[in-house]
Amino acid sequence: MNSLSPEVALSRISPELRPLLCSVVRNGRVGLDSTNCLRITDLKTGCTSLTPGPCCDRFKLHIPYAGETLKWDIIFNARDPELPPDFIFGEDAEFLPEPSELPHLVAWDAGDPDCLLQLVKELLQQYHQYQCQRLRDSSRLLFEYDSLLEDPNYGRSMEIYAGRKNSWTGEFSARFLLKLPVDFSNIPIYLLKDTALDPGEDVALLSVSFEDAEATQVFPKLFLSPSIEHALGGPSALHIPAFPSGGCLIDYVPQVCQLLTNKVQYVIQGYHKRREYIAAFLSHFGMGVVEYDAVGFTKLTLLLMWKDFCFLVHVDLPLYFPRDQPTLTFQSIYHFTSSGQLYSQVQKSYPYSPRWDGNEMAKRAKAYFKSFIPQFQEGAFANGKL
Amino acid sequence: MAASISGYTFSSVCYHSANSNSDHEGFLLGEVRQEETLSISDSQISSSEFLHIVEVHNHEPCAQLFSFYDYAGKVNEENLNRILKDRRKNVIGWYRFRRNTQQQMSFREQVIHKQLTNILGIPDLVFLLFSFISTANSSTHALEYVLFRPNRSRYNQRISLSIPNLGNTSQQEYKVSSVPNTSKNYASVIKEHGAEFFDKDGVIKDIRAIFQVYSALQDKVQAVCAEVDQSERVKEKIQEEVKKLKEEISLRKRITAAEERRHQESLNTENHSLQDDSALSDSSSPPSLTRVLLQSPPLEVSLDWPPNSTALPLYPAAPAPPPAPPSAILLPRPQAVGSPGHPSPGLGLGNGDGSSSDSLNRQAIGQEDQLEEEEEEEDEDEDSSEYENLVSERLQSPSLTDTAVSLGRPAALWPDGDTHSSGGSS
Repeated sequence: MNSLSPEVALSRISPELRPLLCSVVRNGRVGLDSTNCLRITDLKTGCTSLTPGPCCDRFKLHIPYAGETLKWDIIFNARDPELPPDFIFGEDAEFLPEPSELPHLVAWDAGDPDCLLQLVKELLQQYHQYQCQRLRDSSRLLFEYDSLLEDPNYGRSMEIYAGRKNSWTGEFSARFLLKLPVDFSNIPIYLLKDTALDPGEDVALLSVSFEDAEATQVFPKLFLSPSIEHALGGPSALHIPAFPSGGCLIDYVPQVCQLLTNKVQYVIQGYHKRREYIAAFLSHFGMGVVEYDAVGFTKLTLLLMWKDFCFLVHVDLPLYFPRDQPTLTFQSIYHFTSSGQLYSQVQKSYPYSPRWDGNEMAKRAKAYFKSFIPQFQEGAFANGKL
Repeated sequence: MAASISGYTFSSVCYHSANSNSDHEGFLLGEVRQEETLSISDSQISSSEFLHIVEVHNHEPCAQLFSFYDYAGKVNEENLNRILKDRRKNVIGWYRFRRNTQQQMSFREQVIHKQLTNILGIPDLVFLLFSFISTANSSTHALEYVLFRPNRSRYNQRISLSIPNLGNTSQQEYKVSSVPNTSKNYASVIKEHGAEFFDKDGVIKDIRAIFQVYSALQDKVQAVCAEVDQSERVKEKIQEEVKKLKEEISLRKRITAAEERRHQESLNTENHSLQDDSALSDSSSPPSLTRVLLQSPPLEVSLDWPPNSTALPLYPAAPAPPPAPPSAILLPRPQAVGSPGHPSPGLGLGNGDGSSSDSLNRQAIGQEDQLEEEEEEEDEDEDSSEYENLVSERLQSPSLTDTAVSLGRPAALWPDGDTHSSGGSS
């Protein structure tokens, strides 16, 4: 697929049509899956071949929808740029929207750069209606759809793709793409800014594919926008329970939603807890603090002294703190290992309880240091060299 | 369903389309007809097939896009009428030309097509889609065209469009199109000069003249037929008569033969007793003469003797009873076909068996002449070789001739019924 970068596409299109295409290419996010932009391919011209360029006025627009990509042909006329475009809906030859339902077509204004984008959105709405109509071929899936529709949480942000009947078995297949109403707004910003590209809207989409009309083969899949995925701990965040056989979406979807919400809660909680922890350590150890992560609160380094023995303590706070215990790494400042590193010992299990608050943890940690240090010192003298 | 478009209309549409700098559309004018083919074969009772034929005669291009519909694709009937004017009833479809697009009806085209179907009232409106594809370096251009009938079911929409005579005409016949000529100029010229070639009914004059010749010939043939019919009837009648006469002749021959036999028997017994009684023989000669006369069929080629007659030779090669010579004289000449004195055997006179009364007549007349001549000129010298023997025999027995002449000849021999008695017979 010769997908063109937006700039190339814009340079080849006829100048009068450029603003319309610009908004589509740059700002074009339609549908639930807004991480994928609209793509443009196959720029062609409707003028005679002797017309000097750039004069392209017809192209194929790739629109992500319900896990599929719709390829619609959009046909303008470069000689009459004020006229509205025509569409060929690819393989969906039976899709024929009612023109009166497309206000941006009826009142097409070529001077408004957003007109085409709005028209595409309206067409997509009509397409969604059309697909929902097709669900009527299967009563089971129709039931699923209707039940979801009634729920205000899911009804309004749903994309249905009622696929073609499988030509081998005559089976009907459909895919539901749902936007999960999980609130990601409280996720600390630091977690989200690791992605290089503009992450766009934070969204969690649940795609459930029904491979047959009786819903015996159901394949759910969770999609998270990259920043959320990262914030929740990487690909492991995408694990969701399997669809229960005989179950239905109206039960399953809230389940997944809950799971995700819980994860988010953990993450948010973890952030706050870590902050609290660090603050407590700061206050307890005062001048002993060498450095700490002041944004994510994930690390803390202390320089402590006990009977003239100075040592460093690195504290690594995990993502799901306080559920997960922080890792303590003791490091001698005198001794080296054979590989040239500073002699260190990692302690993952020590007296700890997630129910302690920050202060308590700091106190206990202090006590633990005192109990552990002689051991460490001995080890350092024994194994390391100065 | 089959569709055809005349070559000039097609090229005209292509010309308009290819010269436009954007998409182009227009209407197709023509006619739709249904052809029913009845096929009768030995294996099945006649089956009929219906074929819908769409013929495109002309096209009406639209000057610009959106000329009869608005942004929403709603067709404006006023504008439509303005474009079509009085050709609206000839519309059979519409066409659209767009470059570099797929061969599929677009959203707006489908919307418009539905409305046109309703407004124009044509249930099977067709849609001709042209798409023009050019290669990247503009070296090759392809014009593709597909004819749709979108009002039918989804899977049956494309019809093949044929352009007559666009192909290998050396192998196919050059087809004459049934597209009527709608050119006004042509119509006016024909009207003006047509009177020289066409008569008042619109038929070419020469045809009428030929027809007249034909009917005249037919009349003549009819007349000749009548004549032939009549002459055939006459001939048939005459043939009947000849047949009857022949039957009578053969009957009499049988009777005379029987008599002759009896006479011979009695003669034989008499001869034993009276041996040089020539008078008897003389007296018997007339009957034998007559007998001979009776016996001799006036044949031309094949001589048919009655089977039970005593075989009296024509020419007395052996010493036969006296009747032989005179019989030789009175025997008719053997007729050869094409003999100078006779007309060629035309209408049935040439039959061996059924030689008609004419030859009989002639024979009789010939004999009459002979006999008369014989009486007057005893040693008549005929040049013809046919008479050689006869002449010699005549010399031999003039007296017999006399007596023969004096006796009455059977009148039946001469159809004119006259019994001639040559002058001078005593």
